[in-house]
Parts: sequence; structure tokens; C-alpha cells
Amino acid sequence: MLGAGPGGYAAAFYAADLGKRVLLVEQEKKLGGVCLNCGCIPSKALLHASNIMAEARESAHRGILFDPPRLELDKLRAWKNGIVDKLAAGVGFLAKKRGVQVLTGRGYFEGSQSLRVETPEGQQFVTYDKAIIAVGSKPALPKVFDLGNPRIMTSTEALEVEEIPADLLVVGGGYIGMELGSVYANLGSKVVVVEALAGILTGADPDLIRPVLQSAQKRFRELRFNTKVTQMSSKGRKIRVVTEGPDKVEKEELFDRVLVSVGRVPRFHDLGLENTKIEQDERGFIKVNDKMQTDDPALLAIGDIAGGVMLAHKASKEARVAVETIVGEPSTSAGVVIPAVVFTDPELAWCGVTESEARAQGMEFEAAKFPWGASGRALTFDRTDGLTKLIVDLATERVVGVGMVGHGAGELIAEGVLAMEMGATVRDLAESVHPHPTLSETIMEAAESFYGVATHTFSPKKREE
Amino acid sequence: MDLKLPPLGEGVDSGSVVGILVREGDQIAKGQGIIELETGKAVAPVPSPAAGKVTKILVSLGDKISVGQAILCLEGNASAAVKPAAPAAPVARPVRPAGPAKAAPPPQQEPEAGVGAQDEPAEDAPPPAASPTIRRLGRQLGLDLRRVRGSASGGRIVMEDLRAYIQRLQHLASQPRAATSATASKPAAPSIDFAKWGAITKRPMTPLRKAIATHMSESWQATPRVTQFDEADITALNEMRATRAGAYEKKGARLTLTSFALKIVAGALGRHPVFNTSLDEAADEVIYKEYFHIGLAVDTEQGLIVPVLRDVDKKDILTLCKEMNDIAAKTRERKISLEEMQGGTFTITNQGGIGGGHFTPVINRPETAILGLGRGALKAVVREGKIEPRLMLPLALSYDHRVIDGGAAVRFMLDLVKGFEHFDEQQLV
Repeated sequence: MLGAGPGGYAAAFYAADLGKRVLLVEQEKKLGGVCLNCGCIPSKALLHASNIMAEARESAHRGILFDPPRLELDKLRAWKNGIVDKLAAGVGFLAKKRGVQVLTGRGYFEGSQSLRVETPEGQQFVTYDKAIIAVGSKPALPKVFDLGNPRIMTSTEALEVEEIPADLLVVGGGYIGMELGSVYANLGSKVVVVEALAGILTGADPDLIRPVLQSAQKRFRELRFNTKVTQMSSKGRKIRVVTEGPDKVEKEELFDRVLVSVGRVPRFHDLGLENTKIEQDERGFIKVNDKMQTDDPALLAIGDIAGGVMLAHKASKEARVAVETIVGEPSTSAGVVIPAVVFTDPELAWCGVTESEARAQGMEFEAAKFPWGASGRALTFDRTDGLTKLIVDLATERVVGVGMVGHGAGELIAEGVLAMEMGATVRDLAESVHPHPTLSETIMEAAESFYGVATHTFSPKKREE
Repeated sequence: MDLKLPPLGEGVDSGSVVGILVREGDQIAKGQGIIELETGKAVAPVPSPAAGKVTKILVSLGDKISVGQAILCLEGNASAAVKPAAPAAPVARPVRPAGPAKAAPPPQQEPEAGVGAQDEPAEDAPPPAASPTIRRLGRQLGLDLRRVRGSASGGRIVMEDLRAYIQRLQHLASQPRAATSATASKPAAPSIDFAKWGAITKRPMTPLRKAIATHMSESWQATPRVTQFDEADITALNEMRATRAGAYEKKGARLTLTSFALKIVAGALGRHPVFNTSLDEAADEVIYKEYFHIGLAVDTEQGLIVPVLRDVDKKDILTLCKEMNDIAAKTRERKISLEEMQGGTFTITNQGGIGGGHFTPVINRPETAILGLGRGALKAVVREGKIEPRLMLPLALSYDHRVIDGGAAVRFMLDLVKGFEHFDEQQLV
């Protein structure tokens, strides 16, 4: 196993569980990869902590009043790091329990079945029957931003929360920019988001993006679309940034810090891949089939390095497929439903086909929607800024997509994934009892609205059941 | 209401429209034929299940239509939809050109659950609705889940459907070979692009051609076939024929070599009953028939068809000639019925009318022997020490070596030769 991120350690543990002798090579001392150390986990911790700042303010109108909350940044950082350390230690512990050998060092392929590992103690050479490559990805840092100035951050540095800048520029309105922008905005920064495309979170449906954008517009200072950064330079303790908007007018500003979140690139450099039979695409991702096999019979690849959606649970799923392929079980990653979640506030989550995709494919479908304004539970949270949407294939009445925006959407989407994997029809969802009062009821009511009989909205339909 | 093509039985699901028997506006009666459908070798009318007025005809001559496809629109009595054809229905039962009724019941009426909606799923069919557990099981068992029909809501495949599907597969696999050949899927064709080497023309196989191909393949694969060659001196026989031909013409019958052959063969079969048999592979029994129905291979424009003449031993040559003429004409006009092609015990295939010498005929399954005749030709023959020109008839006897041994074959052949060379003229009177 090359790489101990969510793909790597999952594969290592599964292979060990199935009786294989496993060596897990990881260049960082702490296991867990980007997700655990400088990605999913710390960002969610910070989001949770920082959201309280916003909630404390809102609490006033409910009659619960706080003095304005103060931030002890060192303590926040230490708490976040504590979580990361605990989880990383947990991964190490599980590895030990399973008899997985861990080797700290950077791996380099000398051949298809031979790896040179540069460890702190010197070089080690490893030979093996099969290897799974799970080296992951890193934040993209285009040349125009790469000034060697620590005030220009990628997500990795941003999660260190060294300081809360007064003015923060976030370049890129994707999920990383929006999540981390929210953290800093909650903690007191005035945040400007600059995005080259026409909106944030491209890829999600517009009706699901809308509540996220509205919330961001309240918390951030500004969101600018169709805007590029043309120049960036250091100016004393600030960063001078020149942007160009759709009117082609250049604007020069000073920011205390800049977060560059324009995407992630695969970590294929300096791996010795050229010494193997592996093929890569033009962007460097390793080419794999649906069984995670590469063009080299001894090597498989999973997770971010193998392309596709760059999500931790996709890597973990591919870990299962890869190990099953190695042990000879017929496995495949084809047809697996992978959900996507954006942990802004409100959260945005979807799985299967989006409404835009369904329309583009010319599918005969209906989007059955339930607005959270009609959800009793949402109102108790003061969070009616939500929407649950089911994409239903009219030919079979099967649910082929689920999209949700709102408080806790990230948890709720799992029901959508299960429904799709089970081949559920919209009736299956409508007729499954969901507890009241919960946000999960919105899924059931969206399904009921397909038949025009959702209790808490009035949208009658002429439909034969 | 739309009249649809009912199930045709025995794994056949389509046919070609070779005749349209009604017009738009016609008032038709229940049971009246509406179209003529060619399936395999038989052409038969499809009856209307109800009376009414034909408002629209939905098919054209030459159309290939499938079971369930609408044929025409009928206005009038709202009777039930066309019922599936009962075995006795006039709708043709296809496939076996000269074969008898099969030993096993047709595998057509299967239990509904688990039966695949179609045996060959479309290449781009969407993945079937099935839980991860079922999909995993499918992978482990090597099943294509697109062939399994799901019975749960929305067409989802559940364990019960997999169970029923596998049971159906086992049931089909255990059927006697004669039955499964009808439902066996076609082997994958190797894709050779013949156009690479020059111009080509493609012609689809007609139902008749397909039926011939299937019949010949089955015979070839099942039967260890030996062909015994010989020649018979038919100089005298030919003179007999020439002398009598006129008289027969006056009686409306054409006296040909085949007419003689029928009687000669029938006589020989009586003395060598092992050539008048069928092999029951399932029961390990050889069935000796006490009747003599001889099939005659007829070369039609569309292909080879074998109508059967019944009780050849009991009929005189005049009757046989007349029947032969009738049946050959009917066959060439494709008016022959399936029944008239069944029940044969032996087959004669005479190429002599066209030409040809010795050849190796394929046995007309489930018979165990077949006689091929070539063209009689003048040859130099040694008789009593002298070379004389004699009219010699090439004979080729193919037989199933599972049932018949070489010795029996030689003896049968000698009997036949004797029959041709010393035909009793009295039989012609």
C-alpha cells in the first residue's frame, strides 16, 4: 500500500482482514492522509466550532443572549489538532492490531514489483506481489500565486489557522473555498470570494446552490463571479491582488491573506511510475479499469490518484474493490452511487443524477421537491433555508437522483444513497415511515409530492397510481 | 381493437407475412384467416379470434412480425384479445421440416416468475434494479442480471427472482436435446469483415433456410453417418418406363424413375426393417415402424422441402405417381402443410432430374437412413466378358451407424440394386 489516506489505510486493513501480508508505506509520520490531517477532519472540526459564533449571534432573537463570543485561537487550534492526533493514532492502532506493517518514508517505484522507500533512517527496498497506489492529490497552486509567501495559503495552511486575517481573499468558489471561507468569516475575517465561473459550487443544481449562496452573501463581504486573478504580489505584510471581472476592468486590492482553492492535482511526480507499465492520462491521473487495475498487472490504483471525483469515500470504496480484485472476488466500482457533500451552512448534498444532468441527457424524469419552509422541524431550528429534491425516472418510477440543501443535508443524503442502491421507487420512499418531527421527513414528503399528496404542501397532480 | 400475433409455440417467436387475406373495410367472421404467415417451412393462415370490420391493416407483404405484434385493427365485437394458439389451432407449428412430433413437451409455457423479459438483453440496457447484495451474488454466480426479470416494485430483482431464474435454467438444460435445440441461443459469430477482400452482398436467411440449416446441423451432429455407394443397371427399367409412360399419361400420371424407386425402396425396407427405424436416445430404444411413409426431397425455389408419401407399400404405382405429382406441385407452390411433411420413415433424394452422380445425403432426422439417386448415364460395363454400354444409376445410401452396421448396409444396398435391375413389370399394370 503506497499512501495511508482514506483509500490507503482502508485497503491495507481490508487486505489484512482477508489474510494478506500488508506493508503500508506513508511519507508522513502520521497516518490518515490529507483527509485526516489537512482536509476533511480538521475542516469539519473548524466548521463546527466556528459555526457556533454565528449561532451565538442568532440566538438572541430566541431570547437566549450571549456576550459576543471571544476567540482563543491557540485553544481552537489545539482542539482541532487534538482531534487529528487522536484519529491518526487510532489508525496507527488499528494497523498494529491487524498486523499491518507500517513504513514511514517516500516510495519510488524501481520496477513493477519493487519499491525504494526513502526513510529517515535511510533507503529500504521492498518487493511485493501486488501494490495499490493511493498517493492522493494536493492543492493546485498555479504559478501566478506561487510566491513563496506564507500569507498565500492553500487549504493545508488555512487549516492551521495561524491567524484570523482581517481581510481574506478566497480564490475559487468550489467546496473548499466556500467551506474554509465560511470558517474564516465565522471567526471574524471579511471574506471576498473570486470565482472565474458564473457561480459557486458548479456542478450542483442551481435551486440547491441558492440557499448556500444567500447565506454566504450574508456572511462574506462579497462574492464575485466571472472574475479572474491576474496578478498577485507581496506588499509589506499584505498581498496585493489584481482581479479582472466580466466588465474587463482591473481592480487592485490589498488583503491580509489569500486562500488559493482552485482545485486539486494528482500527486504523480517523482513516483517512478515510468519504471512500471502504468499509463496515465494527460493530467497525470493513473488510468484504471472498473476493478481499479492499472496497465501494470502488479499494480492497482485508487482514490484521487486514479481520477474521478476526488472524495474520501470514493477512495475507501475503491479500496474495497481493489482488495477484492486482488483476492479474486468479482468486484467492480461501476454503478456505485457516490454522494457528494458540501459542508457549508446550509449544507449541500446530492447523489445520483442532478436535475441539470437529467435534463441534458434527455431523460424522461420528474423532480419531486419539498421545500423546507413546509417542514415543522426545520422551523424549530430556524433553518427553513432548505430543499429536498428527488429525481424520478418516469419509465420505472425509480429514484435516480437525490439532492438536498439545508441543515444536516450531509447526514440525510445517506438515505438517498441507500434508496438508489436498492433500486427504490419513489413509492418505496413515500411509503416508508419517517419519524416526526425530523428533517428526514422531507425525503418522504418529496416522494409523496410526486403523487401530489404530500401532507404539508399543496401541489395536487392528475396522476394515476 | 388490435389483433395481435398469438404465440406460435415451440420457441418460435416470429414469421414472415406471405399473404394478406383481407382488405380494409371487409367484414370478417371469427376464425377467418387474416394473414398467411411463413414460419420455418410451413405457411399457414392466422385466424381472427373475433368477428368484426377490418378498419386498418398494419402489416405488409414480406414483413417480419413477432408474437404480440399488432396485425390489424378490428371494429366490432369487443372480444378478448387473440388467445394463445392451442396445439390444435390452424396456426402453423414451425421448425421441423419433415420431423415427427417431439418426445418432450415444448418448453414454451414457463412459470412467470424469474423468467427473463427477453433472452438477449439490448446491449445498452440500463443496469437492472437490484440491491448491492443481489448484484454481488450475480457477479459471483456469473449471471447477467439484465436477463433476470425483477418481480419487486419497479422491476427490482430480489432473491426469489434469482432463484426462479436459476431453476428455469436448470429445467431448460435438462430437457432432451430435441427440445433444447429450439431454445438454444445462437453461438456468437466470429466477426469477419468479408468486404475487406472485395465487394459483397448480404442476404438475410429466410425462415425456410434457417429451418433447413437447423435440421441439417442437428442431423450432422447427432448421427455417425456412413454413406454406401453403388450403381444399378437400369437399362431394362428405363425401357419399361418408356413403354408405359404413354399409358400412364393418359391416366393423368407421370411415370418417372422416382415412381419405381418408391416401390423398390418400400420392398427393400420390408425385408430390411432396420432401415425403417428411429433411435430414441433418451430411452435407448430403436423403434421399428410397421408402416412405410417415404419422404421425397423436392427442390423448390426457396430451398429443400421433403413432403411424405404415406403407405407406399400399399399403393400401386399409378396411385403413387399421381400422389407424387400432386405433392410435388403443392410443395413448389408452398401450399404443403406441416402434417404432410411429418411421419416419414425413410427419404429418397433424387438429383437425377437435374444431374449429378454419387453424393453423400444427410439423413433426414429422426430417420436412420436416406437414399440418394444420381442421374442415370450410359457407361461402359463388363457383362459376361464383353464391354457393353448400359444405363447406370448412381446410388448413395447414408445410414446412421448407431443403429445400422456396415453388413446390413451392404445387404440392403444389394437388395436395392436387385430391385432396380430386376423390376417386376407386373407391378406396372
